[in-house]
Formats: sequence, structure tokens, C-alpha cells
Amino acid sequence: MQDDRFKIAVIGAGRMGTVHARNAAAHPALELACVAETPDGSAATLADALQRPVAPFSAALADPAIAGVVIASATATHLDFALAALAAGKAVFCEKPLDLDLARLRAHAGVFADAPLVVGFNRRFDPHFRALKARLDAGEIGTLETLSLISHDPAAPPPGFIPTSGGLFRDFVIHDFDMARWLMGEEPVEVFAWASCLVDPAIAAAGDVDTARIVLKTTSGRLCTISSSRRSGYGYDQRAEVYGSAGMARVDNPRSTTLEGWSEAGSAAARIAGGFAERYAAAYAAEMDHFAAVLAGEAAPAVGHAANERALALAEAAGRSAQSGAPVMVESV
Amino acid sequence: MARIALFGAGRIGRIHAANAVATPGIELAAVIDPVPEAARALADATGAEVADTEAVIADPDIAGVIVASATDTHLDLCLAAHAAGKAIFCEKPLDLDLARARAAAEQLAEARLFLGFNRRFDPNFKALKAAMDEGRIGALETLNITSHDPAPPPIAYVRVSGGLFRDMTIHDFDTARWLLGAPVTEVFAAGAGLIEPEITTAGDIDTAKILLRTAAGQLCLISNSRRSGYGYDQRIEAFGSAGMLRAGNVAESETAVWGEAGPAGAPFQTFFLDRYAAAYRDEMAHFADVLSGAAPAIGVADGLAALALAEAAAESVRTNKVVNL
Repeated sequence: MQDDRFKIAVIGAGRMGTVHARNAAAHPALELACVAETPDGSAATLADALQRPVAPFSAALADPAIAGVVIASATATHLDFALAALAAGKAVFCEKPLDLDLARLRAHAGVFADAPLVVGFNRRFDPHFRALKARLDAGEIGTLETLSLISHDPAAPPPGFIPTSGGLFRDFVIHDFDMARWLMGEEPVEVFAWASCLVDPAIAAAGDVDTARIVLKTTSGRLCTISSSRRSGYGYDQRAEVYGSAGMARVDNPRSTTLEGWSEAGSAAARIAGGFAERYAAAYAAEMDHFAAVLAGEAAPAVGHAANERALALAEAAGRSAQSGAPVMVESV
Repeated sequence: MARIALFGAGRIGRIHAANAVATPGIELAAVIDPVPEAARALADATGAEVADTEAVIADPDIAGVIVASATDTHLDLCLAAHAAGKAIFCEKPLDLDLARARAAAEQLAEARLFLGFNRRFDPNFKALKAAMDEGRIGALETLNITSHDPAPPPIAYVRVSGGLFRDMTIHDFDTARWLLGAPVTEVFAAGAGLIEPEITTAGDIDTAKILLRTAAGQLCLISNSRRSGYGYDQRIEAFGSAGMLRAGNVAESETAVWGEAGPAGAPFQTFFLDRYAAAYRDEMAHFADVLSGAAPAIGVADGLAALALAEAAAESVRTNKVVNL
């Protein structure tokens, strides 16, 4: 029987690489051909676990049988790996962000313009947020007026991560900037942000912030607020509320189970997801579905360079606003 | 038994009258309203007498007054009642004009004046505050307050309301001050006219998102709309170092209908008098305590501080800048 699955290579065998490699290996239309070598040697562990070979990245790119590459390596390597893979004629799925540097990202806009590149803004692929978007598009709450996004991480990352992260806005809130653009149906033109360090003094020592409130305005006056924290203390808080002329649509946190306990003290529900791998498991699988559809020529990439560039511009604007204490026009970034 | 008089026989006056009648320790003796029929109807319904302002203020047997008349009469009535030594329960706001309210503040410094920011008395929000004070979420870091009205008020009301911030957000400013526990030092507000063009024409806004920051870096976000389209949306979420507290909306009933398309719950309580019925009752119980000598839970200083935040928010929208307090 002929195997017409698309052969793909994964580079990066950390947390996200493992998620994507497992989803690719389990996907009926994809064949995980190899895990590409990385300097830290983690590729071997992942490859062994999935019973796949390890190969040099250059060999994977040179192999004409390989149709696509999944990039989940260190952020600083994303852009170069993506350019190399596209140059080798591969379709690319790249973890977010494509790059942390706006100027560098913009310098390559031409190459990426119509490229077969999917950037992993996973929240767009979450079934809950997709249902929300579908309801909005169907006009169920009338005309959209304002949007509230809440995104609080369960626990602060290790202090060692902060200096390489790009900062709260570019590393973390960038997801919400992408969500805001996706859901609002209008480009934000102005950004105001306040940020504090309230969670971990080590984050402040590293020059970053861990708590923020952001307001985005569109041309027609639509408003979006984003609540962001590096540590909730109660799980991975990921919610959206959209207010329209005819009502409100809301995505709440799914519970780990439907169990509720009732006692004299009141009721207690099961915890919400403890982290991104749990909360967005379905979204990561849907991303791989989408990448398979792009490989098959059945879909154009839903999120690519342009979306990443816009979200990063908003992050940049938010960072400047938090520094200056004044609203920042997006076009000035 | 403390004999009291009620100024104002309108919507909120009638609520306070009914609660006063039902509250032990209080006797509603007199009702005053510029519309004689309104005063008469309410007096008849509550067993009180119809009276006039001068007589009530001069009557030594009247221990306290409830000021629920038109907003622009609040301050003068409070000053007169205080000068006559009476305890006062004044509906919010004390006044719409910050300078005028500040000028009167000194005269009211010793007043036994309880200002009716009803949300502090809502059982849901009280429970949230109590849990916070018990340290259930550790140190408070950020606060999100959602306050969306079911439908815009008549345009005639909008014109005399003092604007969204002084009329509606003032409640949220007070709630924020109550919960944050640290003085707000900065305000940024984004406002828009998205709902009703007549509101924009009248020079007001109908939609706003307001940020408050304290000296400690705590952040508070207030979401306001004059029209939700789905009821009276009144929620608070408090985020702390050890978790989150959330007080949600109250539904008209707990009945949900389940069909092939999924479950559908009952709407939220849509009218503020329903949503805050328990809060208004509790306010009156507190006023009975004030009449017996307790210190008012909310006073002139709170009214001034909330009004100052409202002015700062309006200035922020006008200038598109952060306003320092």
C-alpha cells in the first residue's frame, strides 16, 4: 500500500517540540520522518521515545522527500531556520514567535509574503475560542463593541528565562495581541499599558514586569482590555468576553473534571487547567491538522508572518507605553 | 425608636421608605417631596406625615434624615440637617461638582453622614471583601470590576447626570477604593460613544475602560457600558498572590433549559433595585446603627475621593493622558 502521508521533520525537542512531534507522529496525514539534531542533545531522547531517527537539520532540508518542517527550537533560531526551510522548498510550521525583533521580522517581509508558513498562535486553534469567533462572525451578539481578555499564567517562569524571553509583552501578551486582532475585526490603532512587578522581585531585577493591564483602541472606538499576570495561584486562567450591541459571548476556563463537591462550607469545583500543555492540547492537535491541510494545498496558512508582525508591533507599542506612561499610536512603531 | 424624615419620594426614595418602615429602631415620621401627590402617596403607604423641609429641619424630635431627593439638592439638605444636629443617610452622590463638595466638606467634617454607596452592602461583594480581609488570596495585586447597565437611560437623564464617570462609574470608583486598600495615585481612561448617538450628541460617552494604579503598583481595571443587552452585569474579580476571588451576577432564577443546542440559563436580574435589594435593606440597618451612635461606614471623604476619580477619568479621556491625583 502506498504511503501518501507528508513526511515532516521536527527541530527543537524541548517542551513545545515534544508536543508537536507527538501530534505529528499521531496524525494520519503526516509522517514524522526525523527529529533534527540540536546542540543540547535533546533530540535523541525525543526521537527514541517516538522511535524515529535523528538527523542533521541540513540533511532534513536536503531530503526532497521531506515536505514540511516544524520549528520548535530556541526562539532566537526560529527566523533563520524558517528561512532555510522555505529556501529548501519546505512548508513550515513555526512556534511563536517567528522572531522577537520587529526590525528583523520586517526586513524579511518580502520572503514571507506568500510563503507556506504557519506561525503557532495556538489560541486561534482552541475549540472554545474558535466557537466564540464563529458566534461573532454569525452576528449573534450584534456589532462588536468591546473585548476583555484575561491571560494569567499559573506560576512565574524561572528567573533565568526572563532575560531571553523578550519581556512580558513580547513573550506572553503577544498571544493576547493576536487574539485581540483576530476577534475585534478591526486593527488596534492605539495602545496604553501599565505594568508592575508584583509577583517576583527577581523579574524586576531582570528588568521585566510580571503584571499588566493593557487597553487597545481601534479607529471606530472599539476597546479591548487585556489582563496579564505571570502567576495566578489557581491555574492557567484563559478567558475571553466579547460585548456587542445585542449581548455578550464568553469563554470561561474549562475544568479538569466536571466534579463539584458540596459541603456546609459551600461548593468547590475541580481546578482549571494547570498549564498550557493541558489547556491547549486540542489546539496544538488542531494546529497540526491545519499544517497537514496546508501541506496538502487544501488550506492557506491561517496565521503567518503578517499576523506575527502586527502582534509584535502591538507588543512593542505596549512596552513603550508602559515605559512612558502615555498612549502609543501603533503606526509610530 | 429614632424618628426620621425622608426627602424625595421618587424611585429610590420609595425603596428607602419601605426599608425604613421594616427596620427595627427606625420610625419613618415624615416625607418631603416637591411633588405633593408623590409625597402624599408615599406618606399614606408608610404611615408617615407629609411635611416641608423647614419644619422637618427645625423639629428636634426628628433624629435623622434620608436624602433621596434630586441630586442637586443633596448637599444643601445635608448641610441644613447637620447644622440641626441630625444624622444623615445621603444617596450618592453628595454632589456632582467637586469644588462645591470640597467647599462644603469642612462644614461636614463632624457630620454623622452616611453616604449610600450601595454596592459595599451587597452580600456578594461583602463576602468578597471579607474573604480578601481574611487573607484568602494573599496580597491583593489586581482588580477587575465589570459594571454594565442593561439599557441606556433616557437622554433627558443623561444631560443632567454629570456624565458617565460621575453618574455611573462613581460606584466602581468607590468599590475600587474600598477593595484596593491603598490610595489610587493615577487614572487612565478610554471612552467611546458606541451605543447611542444621542448620548454622543449630548457630549457624553456610553462605553469606557478605566485603569487605576496605586502607589504600590496595584492595578484596577473597570469596564463600563450603558447597555449590555443581556441584563445588569455587575461583577468583581480580585487577583492576589495566592489566588482569585470572583463575585458573579445574580440570575433571575436558577432554572436552566437544556436542549439539543445546549443549556440556556435564566437572564441576570435586570433592574438595579432588584439586584441590590438586599444591599438597600442592609444600608438601612446600618443607618439605624448610625442613629444609635455608630460611625458611618462611608462618609463625606469617600464621596469626595470617588468624585475626584471621576473628574480625573473625564480629564484623562479629554486629554488622552494619565492623570495624577
